[in-house]
Amino acid sequence: MDSLLEFARGPLFRFSIIIMILGLARLIALDLYSIFRAHQKAGDKSLPWGLIISRSIEWLFPVKRIAHNRPIYSIFSILFHIGLLLVPLFLFAHIQLWEKGIGFSWPALPYNWAYWLTISTIIFAVLLIIGRIFNKSSSFISRKQDFLWPVLLLIPFVTGFVCSHLNLSPSNYRLFMLIHILSGDMIFLLMPFTKIAHCVLMPLSQVICTLAWKFPADTDDKVCTTLNKKGAAV
Amino acid sequence: MRTNPITPEERGKAFATQRKPEVLKKQNLDVRYHIEDFETNDRPGRFLEAFAAILKHSNYKMALDHFIRMSAKCGRCATTCQVYQATGDPKDIPCYRSELLLSVYRRHFTLGGMLKGRLLGSGYLTDEKIQEMAESFWNCTACRRCTLECPSGIDHALITHLGRYILSEIGIAPRALVVSTREQLEGATGNTSAIPVPALIDTLEFLEEDMLEEKNVEIKFPMDVENADYVFIPAVSDYLMEAETLMGIAAVFTATGDSWTTGTGYFDGINYGLFYSDRILERVVKKIDAETKRLKGKNVLIGECGHASRSAKYYLPTYCGGKDAFPVINIMEYTHKVWKEGKLKFDPNIVTEKVAYHDPCNIARQKWIIDQPRELLKAFCKNYVEMTPFGADNICCGGGGGTISIDEIRPYRTTIGGKLKADQIRRSGCNILIAPCANCKKQLRELVEDQKIDCEVMGLHDLIYKAIIFDDSLIVKKDVQPENIAEEK
Repeated sequence: MDSLLEFARGPLFRFSIIIMILGLARLIALDLYSIFRAHQKAGDKSLPWGLIISRSIEWLFPVKRIAHNRPIYSIFSILFHIGLLLVPLFLFAHIQLWEKGIGFSWPALPYNWAYWLTISTIIFAVLLIIGRIFNKSSSFISRKQDFLWPVLLLIPFVTGFVCSHLNLSPSNYRLFMLIHILSGDMIFLLMPFTKIAHCVLMPLSQVICTLAWKFPADTDDKVCTTLNKKGAAV
Repeated sequence: MRTNPITPEERGKAFATQRKPEVLKKQNLDVRYHIEDFETNDRPGRFLEAFAAILKHSNYKMALDHFIRMSAKCGRCATTCQVYQATGDPKDIPCYRSELLLSVYRRHFTLGGMLKGRLLGSGYLTDEKIQEMAESFWNCTACRRCTLECPSGIDHALITHLGRYILSEIGIAPRALVVSTREQLEGATGNTSAIPVPALIDTLEFLEEDMLEEKNVEIKFPMDVENADYVFIPAVSDYLMEAETLMGIAAVFTATGDSWTTGTGYFDGINYGLFYSDRILERVVKKIDAETKRLKGKNVLIGECGHASRSAKYYLPTYCGGKDAFPVINIMEYTHKVWKEGKLKFDPNIVTEKVAYHDPCNIARQKWIIDQPRELLKAFCKNYVEMTPFGADNICCGGGGGTISIDEIRPYRTTIGGKLKADQIRRSGCNILIAPCANCKKQLRELVEDQKIDCEVMGLHDLIYKAIIFDDSLIVKKDVQPENIAEEK
């Protein structure tokens, strides 16, 4: 058990983190390259930067549009995301690990905050799963990963909470800690290959959508040539 | 904004098809709009070929890659979509509609998808999928409201736009749009309504006489004037159906004295390319550019029409010279500008009815024209009411994305597409609904008729024509024939 635990938080953790960083960096690089190419190809190169930036910020801090569209779901989702981002990065125990691993640290969340954020994240994840199952429109469009992701995200939160707040026997503690770390590793590994990539791609959405409407200048001729339709009637 | 989904009877009525069973069988495509005969062999293969060609020569790949990597399937778009709100059918959720095309892209154009498909032997594009796309993409009114509500920023309207474009390349496009476009690009009259130039000139001369009688002012439609500041290009259907809008526009120009002209070489702003094919979009935009060049005009002035304005404003720079392309403005921008400069005067006692303003999606969604018409209306309408939501968040009339021109789907448009709008109009209690767009006007008239709402639909300049006050110097003296005025001077 101990060697497995060491493996999970040692080599496997480093491997997962490296895959995550490289994978997400690859996605960002691909997007940025596409943006650059599309801008070069576009017949009209002007972009409404004001609108793009304001809409990007609107969705990075999505409070403006919650009131009139699925407000309860939206609030649950926002609160879930807050815990999801803050706890792994700012929990005191995690920061100590980071310091050991990469050599520097940052201020931690107060104990109480971390405690309540963990609980709220667990509650809201459960509510989001229930919402996805029972909301007719949500469940219809959901794929397997849409149901599995919140479950996977719950595991490290629940096990982490159990480890730090319940009186466990040492062997049980190690078991929960192992599940905690393995599920965390799995999350890092899968991030670049699943919808969780939105954590880094989202800021680019607005510019991509705007640019995608900027077509290249001579589409008609080129598409006609490729499809052998030159001179064909409408 | 929520509404109760339609009843099964309404549904039956809305989805009733007018197409003959033998045609449906022959074309092997069960959709509600008429389609011209097309090659039915190996549709999936040809669809993929067209898809590949379009991806190669466009910027869509960037967006598709981005969307398949990050789509989170939250379902918020469902609540915004007026079609889904009316039908309650999950297949009308924008995210589901987009997935139809995204799944084809993922399976046939990404390495992972191709490997997975090969290994599992699944997911190959089938006739059934094409059938579903052909139906679904033309249920959408391309209003782009869902795009505003997507936390991931996915532009479902872009995907619908691309889907229609690919389908059109294999022959699947509403006949109404194709036939009109063929007349516009290759026909003798060169416009979608097939109006010959002599008929156009007759119509305008007739309107000039009418205006002289009604307003006692010599209001002209200048034709083929070179070096004019504004080359006027309305939706050509206005010449048949919206005489008062045109009269209002001519009245504004008479009051300001600015130079404007209509060209007899090309005078149609309608661009169905925006709805079903980028290739058509390009060809139509180039005709506008060519006519403006021929007349040595300085600006392109689009009439009261949402999609004509958007296609010219956003695609003239794309296809005709980038920064050097002719500036495009919408007539409401012009009227608002000259009113601000104090060149227009209105009588505030003419319009006493309750007036509301409907934002055409194509000019409001990107926050282009929202406040200008409202400021104008409030300047002379005693009783202006606002419908909510409005502006960039407005609800589509239900005939957007070219669906208004497909007459055979009117029941669909007025029971499903326009359901939310009808509720909104009823709630506002307006007597006059201003819709400065040829498509919106036609759809809203059919909507208030079918939904039995007591409300008159008209353009902004129809009302301006009623309320405008001319300078005394423009008033023709009584008992003097207009022909004699020039001689007197």
